[in-house]
Amino acid sequence: METMTGQEIAIEPVASAGFAGLVRQHQSMVFSLALNLLHDRAAAEEVAQDVFMELYRKLADLESDDHVRFWLRRVTTHRSIDYARRRKTHGGVALDDVPEPSVSGEPADVLLNRKLRALIATLPEHPRTVMVLRYQEEMMPEEISKVLGMPVRTVKSHLQRSLALLREKLGRSSGEVR
Amino acid sequence: MDDLERQLQQALARQEAPPWFEEKVLRAVARQPERRSTSWFGSAYPIRWATAALATLLLSGGIAWQHERQERIAGEAAKAQLQLALRITSSQLHKIEKRIESIEQD
Repeated sequence: METMTGQEIAIEPVASAGFAGLVRQHQSMVFSLALNLLHDRAAAEEVAQDVFMELYRKLADLESDDHVRFWLRRVTTHRSIDYARRRKTHGGVALDDVPEPSVSGEPADVLLNRKLRALIATLPEHPRTVMVLRYQEEMMPEEISKVLGMPVRTVKSHLQRSLALLREKLGRSSGEVR
Repeated sequence: MDDLERQLQQALARQEAPPWFEEKVLRAVARQPERRSTSWFGSAYPIRWATAALATLLLSGGIAWQHERQERIAGEAAKAQLQLALRITSSQLHKIEKRIESIEQD
């Protein structure tokens, strides 16, 4: 049993302590992956919750914390890609249609970060996923290739092309960031 | 790593999940049907196997005890019959002996 905000939540005893700890430990990673991939807080929350529900069902099959982290990264990226595809199919706002946020009256770094996030959101799904895993999770191309089931040279190619594209777009708009 | 890559790390850095997120997930999990563990130690398999082994042990012990009891009863019955036969034989011999003695006296 766990007591939260004055109300008791009945959870299977074995799962309650361990599972709550896993949620606390990994929620930032899962939520941020979904947010950076979907560019939409509500969608990111929904995907992150689904991922943890799935984790709860699969917990007995996962052998270590590394295994849990690998599994969470893989499932979160796949779920986010599926969510983005469904949203596009069902006439929702596609990532390609996400407008660049308004940039007036904020510090330069904050503005640049927002601009970069908006530009990442316009990348196709695979390059976008590779970029998020590389720069959010600071993963090496070999690790990204395992999570996405993609050859290492494809991962490297996505990284190079995406960086070149971002440089070009940023250079066009501001002329300075290398 | 160049300026752009460093800036990308900043832009895509992890953010905190909403403060209510953990509670929301735990509530959703609590509403799920009970999770069935597939692992040996987390399941009811060991209890079932121990119960089956104990039942088999008790059953085979019971059969062996019953078999031994029947053999003991049969053995005691045979012993009683033999004692009876010996008593009869002894009595007959005693009678014969008496008759021989009376003939010799006559």
